[in-house]
Amino acid sequence: MVKTLIKKQLMEVFKGYFYDSKKNKKRSSGGIIAYFILFGVLMIGVLGGMFGALAVSLCGPLSDAGMGWLYFIIMGSLSIVLGAFGGVFNSYSGLYLGKDNDLLLSMPIPVRYIMASRLINVYILGAMYSIVAILPAEIVYWVVVGPTISNMVCGIILIFVITLIVMVLSCILGWGVAKISLKLKRKSFAVVVSSIAFIGIYYFFYFKASALIRDLIANAGVYGDKVKAGAYWLFFLGKAGEGDWLSALICLAFALAVFAITWYVIAKTFLSMVTTSGKSARTEYREKSVKEKSAFRAVLGKELSRFLSSSTYMLNSGLGIVFVVVSGVLLLFKGEVFFSTINSAFEQMPGAASILIAAALCLLACMNNISAPSVSLEGKNIWILQSLPVRPATVLRAKAVLHLLLSGVPMVFAVICIMIVLPETVIVRLMLLAFVLVFICFSVMFASFLGIKLPNLSWTSEVVPLKQGGAAMFSIFGGWVIVAAFAGLYLLIGYKIGPSIYLAISTLVFAAAAIILRRVLYTKGAQAFAEL
Amino acid sequence: MLKINGITKNYDEKKAVDNLYLHIQPGEIYGFIGHNGAGKTTTLKSIAGILKFDSGEILIDGMSIVDSPIECKKIMAYIPDNPDLYDFMTGIKYLNFVADIFGISSEDRSQRIRKYADTFGLTADLAQPIATYSHGMKQKLAIISAWIHEPKLIIMDEPFVGLDPKAAHELKLMMREVCDGGGAIFFSTHVLEVAEKLCDKVAIIKDGVLVRSGTMEEVKGDDSLEEVFLDLEAE
Repeated sequence: MVKTLIKKQLMEVFKGYFYDSKKNKKRSSGGIIAYFILFGVLMIGVLGGMFGALAVSLCGPLSDAGMGWLYFIIMGSLSIVLGAFGGVFNSYSGLYLGKDNDLLLSMPIPVRYIMASRLINVYILGAMYSIVAILPAEIVYWVVVGPTISNMVCGIILIFVITLIVMVLSCILGWGVAKISLKLKRKSFAVVVSSIAFIGIYYFFYFKASALIRDLIANAGVYGDKVKAGAYWLFFLGKAGEGDWLSALICLAFALAVFAITWYVIAKTFLSMVTTSGKSARTEYREKSVKEKSAFRAVLGKELSRFLSSSTYMLNSGLGIVFVVVSGVLLLFKGEVFFSTINSAFEQMPGAASILIAAALCLLACMNNISAPSVSLEGKNIWILQSLPVRPATVLRAKAVLHLLLSGVPMVFAVICIMIVLPETVIVRLMLLAFVLVFICFSVMFASFLGIKLPNLSWTSEVVPLKQGGAAMFSIFGGWVIVAAFAGLYLLIGYKIGPSIYLAISTLVFAAAAIILRRVLYTKGAQAFAEL
Repeated sequence: MLKINGITKNYDEKKAVDNLYLHIQPGEIYGFIGHNGAGKTTTLKSIAGILKFDSGEILIDGMSIVDSPIECKKIMAYIPDNPDLYDFMTGIKYLNFVADIFGISSEDRSQRIRKYADTFGLTADLAQPIATYSHGMKQKLAIISAWIHEPKLIIMDEPFVGLDPKAAHELKLMMREVCDGGGAIFFSTHVLEVAEKLCDKVAIIKDGVLVRSGTMEEVKGDDSLEEVFLDLEAE
């Protein structure tokens, strides 16, 4: 029975690899292999490579100093943090919000079996993240110190222990996140703000990483003593990695005991968790006078509500808004140093700083692809707009205008900040403003065009059109290619005509492209929308 | 009010609707009956202007749904079989959204929302997000939104599914009220007793082909509608 449940759970986890939900059929063998290779390259190649490089810089000095255990504590802690954060937003829904809760509970299946299969789900998700840090750490250690039976077997035990700890932490944190989010009024905003804060912290440590590593290696003895004095249990974790059998067995026993308690508690509380709804404040309806709106403004308001209601939408399609504003403020204060550095680096190409900053802003603008997934996001609701007396062109215009407003207004602020500090003539500064705004018009039309050209209305999770949809991906990466061509062309030959003429020509080219795309969008695109 | 002149709709090789003719007069409640996959939803979606058909013509109050879709939709309302509404809106926001699209004045919309929300006992829930609504509550909201602009023609796909007995009763009264005021209603249903009691006329479709239509007496004679339907299905 447990085997069948686990098999079903695994099929759900890896469904995307075997089944094409867009075409509603199984993927070809080639497609499955390609997906697994892509996943492997991303997880092992990119993330694993990053942690492998960190492991290489730490392993040698620490193991030479006889503090290999500290090396494993650092890499193990990173692995636990990565795994727990990777799984925290999915663990609660994975454990408690299964669509098959009623079905499974109506069958003669003990709850502990259902929970065992659900825990496997959480375990796999957490393990996928944590292994990319701890596995390269182990491999680097075996290469640097030399493989022995004890450090290899204990190393594998350590990996297993870490993945178990990650699973337990994911369950606890996920439960906490779910409880807090039930009390939040503006849940989507809270998720966006915490995600942006997380990204900020990540980049802070990323830029400080080399200094932190240098400090750690230089003061390894001091930090080691602090760990032994303050968290002796961590010392066991580190010793297990070095190949100490006793420490490995203690860690394994501890992890298994914690896992058993978690399993017991979750199985015991499952029924009450899935049958009790959280306390939510009920808003009493009070009749208010409302202001009438035009059809266009009504659809625009609906689009804005849709955008603000989903943290996934805001984070995937509107993160550039934050980056644009932050860039403007940063350059306002640090712009002088920044521009003088660029100008001295490109001494042979006068005006390169103006073009490169324009390109950078356009790259950030491309990250705002709000209108690209917008048609697909209609999903099963598409009948509403299709059956109401509103022209398809009006619907597409509302989607594009929302994108334009959310992307354009912060950009005007950022460009004005930059214009204040840009060491260029007034004409170049004004051309920069004109170019960036015209480019935003182009990027809005480009994203809207892709949105209607590559629609997917048959999704079950909004993550599909937002993250995996062709329109969303091509609008960002296609936009970046276009921006790269704009900057590259200037560095190749454009500098000969100077930044103001180059920006003027580029403005005209993008304006023409935007006008053509607009025309196609409101004619053929509108027709396509009506027939979706 | 509604003229369907020989429409045909194909899905790849399959003929979903085959040369269908129907004429619905003002004041009529017209039932549309057929087995699963007979072509009812395809026909209703084609009338509502959300599905393109291959040949034929649909006229609403004399206007073609293909040539004048906006004008047709202004005097018509459509309720699908599954009311997938905007989960991210509250009930009242959704009703105001629909009212804005139809250009309903704030006085008229307030009065109609009050009337129909009270009728269905939905007033207290209007400030709640639609995501928290049950299937029946969504169905009630979809019905209120359909009635909000006082349409001349209402197209409904299985409107009674999910409604409690009181709401179903209220809906029947509202349907009759529309028709008494010169409007027309065309709806599909699997509940033959409802069709028998409520409809002035009925059409039976089988495998995309209209097999019988007319007044209730013309269609069923002395038999029950269920017997007629089952006989036709067996043929």
